[in-house]
Amino acid sequence: MRMGEPLRLVANDVAIEYGARRVLAGVSFELRTGETLVVTGANGSGKSSLLRVICGLQRPARGMVTIEVNGTVLRPSEALHLLGWVAPDLHLYRELTALENLTFFAAVRGMRCNRADLEALLADVGLGGRGDDLLAAYSSGMTQRLRYAYALLHHPRILTLDEPTVTFDARGVALVEQVIARQRERGITVIATNDPREERFGDYILRLGRERL
Amino acid sequence: MSDRLRLDQAAKILLGVWMAGIVVAMFLVVPQYVGLGDAGRIIILHVPTAWITTVAFAVSAVYSIRYLWKRRASDDAGAVAAAEAGFLFCALATVSGMWFANIVWGTPWNWDPRETTILILLLIYAAYFALRSALDDVERRRRLSAVYNLFAAVTMPFLLFVAPRMAESTLHPNCAFIQGSHCDGIWLELNGARVGQLGDVVLALQGIEQRGDLAVAQVEVRMPGLREVALLTPSFELSSGKPADRPEFPGQQFLLAVEGVDLTNGRVLLNMEAPGTGLLSNSRTFWTFMAANIGFLGLFIWLYRLRADVLLLQDRLARREVAYELPA
Amino acid sequence: MDPRVSPQSTVEASTTTAPPKAPLLTAAWAVFRKDVRSELRTRYALNAILLFAVSTVVAMSLGMGPLTTSRNADLPIIHAALLWVAILFAAFTGLARAFVQEEEARTAAALRLSARPTAVFLGKLWFNLALLLLIVAVTTTLFVVMLRVQVGNPGLLAALLLAGSLGLVAATTLIAAIIARASVKGALFAVLSFPLLAPLLVVAIQGSANALAGRGWESGVGALQVLAGYTIALFTASLFLFNNVWEP
Repeated sequence: MRMGEPLRLVANDVAIEYGARRVLAGVSFELRTGETLVVTGANGSGKSSLLRVICGLQRPARGMVTIEVNGTVLRPSEALHLLGWVAPDLHLYRELTALENLTFFAAVRGMRCNRADLEALLADVGLGGRGDDLLAAYSSGMTQRLRYAYALLHHPRILTLDEPTVTFDARGVALVEQVIARQRERGITVIATNDPREERFGDYILRLGRERL
Repeated sequence: MSDRLRLDQAAKILLGVWMAGIVVAMFLVVPQYVGLGDAGRIIILHVPTAWITTVAFAVSAVYSIRYLWKRRASDDAGAVAAAEAGFLFCALATVSGMWFANIVWGTPWNWDPRETTILILLLIYAAYFALRSALDDVERRRRLSAVYNLFAAVTMPFLLFVAPRMAESTLHPNCAFIQGSHCDGIWLELNGARVGQLGDVVLALQGIEQRGDLAVAQVEVRMPGLREVALLTPSFELSSGKPADRPEFPGQQFLLAVEGVDLTNGRVLLNMEAPGTGLLSNSRTFWTFMAANIGFLGLFIWLYRLRADVLLLQDRLARREVAYELPA
Repeated sequence: MDPRVSPQSTVEASTTTAPPKAPLLTAAWAVFRKDVRSELRTRYALNAILLFAVSTVVAMSLGMGPLTTSRNADLPIIHAALLWVAILFAAFTGLARAFVQEEEARTAAALRLSARPTAVFLGKLWFNLALLLLIVAVTTTLFVVMLRVQVGNPGLLAALLLAGSLGLVAATTLIAAIIARASVKGALFAVLSFPLLAPLLVVAIQGSANALAGRGWESGVGALQVLAGYTIALFTASLFLFNNVWEP
């Protein structure tokens, strides 16, 4: 299988604060191609924030996350194309259809995708034939499936999944397992979850507690 | 450390003595002026504060650039402190100016170019503070307010370019301080452009008459707050080439003068005159004025650095509270 | 390039180090088209602005009805000032929408993760320009018809309206991006924009008054030059500053 160039995701002493509240103090880890990290912890322990920091969607109060390909550290703008993010926080355009959403995100990423490619992607996440429905009419499970389509659209080498199976039925859980297994061959996966059953995906497990000094 | 403290102390005392000296000189050294009386002394306070306002805006913009470049809390504190001090000086300059204008020109506000620019500057400062108070996240507040500060600075040259062109002349003494402002008045002709504007006064030339050595112009005057159209007849002495009779604008204390006549083509150069031109040609006034500029600059630097230190201290205290999870 | 990448597997190619960077204008165009499509479907901004423009003009014509040129020589400048005030306030109600919508619907994160900041800025700028040109066209037409304004030099007026719109959009798009991140949005947009728009308004009103009074093109060239300079300066500054606004 193709692994691409060696990839490294390094978190160095990452601290996260919300106003006067510190939710995460000094987390460090290092992941390489093929590795999966599962982050667990109680509500408010900073799991989601850590994933947002990895994706560059949030600025840490201290420390930093770097992404290296072939030993060179990427600038945040270069790293965007390597990152995929699935989270309850991820919202797409409700007034557009699923296909319109995907077409838009493909276009701003500079990808040339035709309708058949995107329909195949939708079928992969179990939304075959629902591409022309407005997102406003989607159920929560379908919305979660579309988040996978959004995140996998550009075949990211680093996939971050925040509560990956939330609102999913058994078939949805099977989809997640398949996605994680495939991602193992392509790059790095970081999963944030409270579900003990999902800890089995991880090569490493990071348990976050309520930080106290 | 103690050397620096002693130096700071000495500088503070020197500044205090210097400013006290300026206040005394403002009343004892600066002479009275014809037409201005004691109101003329305001130049010692008004002009330096107005000048410091623009200096403060520039200092704040430089700190904002540095903040976006290096993202250090100290640069943001500098930008805020300079803006706050600038706002204070801006308000002082505006109020002192309106007060003076009311006494000497008979109107507190007449959309003079410098009045326009300082009002917009006041609004920009106010908007900057409004933006800061509307942003909850500390880092985002610093970043976005720095962006706004710089963006506002980009529009300043246009304001300085446009404002003087809104009116053909300024009542402010010593036009030379503001580039592009017309001190020269306005040429009106009987066969061409008859209507022109000085400040917020609209003038229309109705006729020119020669009476011996005098050329008398009939000028129709319309201005805000004036119900009826007034007819003024300023005159010009042809032999000496100087304005002769200078009537006051109705309800105001500034004058309409004819500063040039071209009888063959029916053209007249009209200008408004306010008392106070040539104020700085008196050396006692000039040196007190210069000393005041230095003093106010020192006052501004002391003020904004003090404020910046306080802001930084507050920031550190807040961080310590985070670290130890002290109740807010 | 990796020799194993075959032409049909364009998607695979994006797994290499240097992903195909979206051409800036293509990505910006995609953002613009997305915004237009969303707007046409939801009409969040469109309905509000058009009704706002209609109400303003009707309110003005109710009050200004009896004014005629024969009784008032200042009518062109009064008309020009009123027209620009109507345009300005309609712009304040609608132009922040493009960015505020992304934050309120919480779609900004998805956009941030996919698109280059400059592409987002340009797309939103074009969208705002299209929206503003529509506002200006509707407001001006209503204004001229309902207040029975005599337009002496329609070409010059159109040029000034276009140049003024460009300047207005160049100044307000960055500010819209700023206030989208703030807690109070609506009022703040006008508060932050107005002082920066003051030079533009002065020039545009004076120029438009000349155009309404029927003076020649030479009376408006100066105004057009200032407006062009203003637009270029603010657009360039926006391009430099936008990254700082858009970062999380």
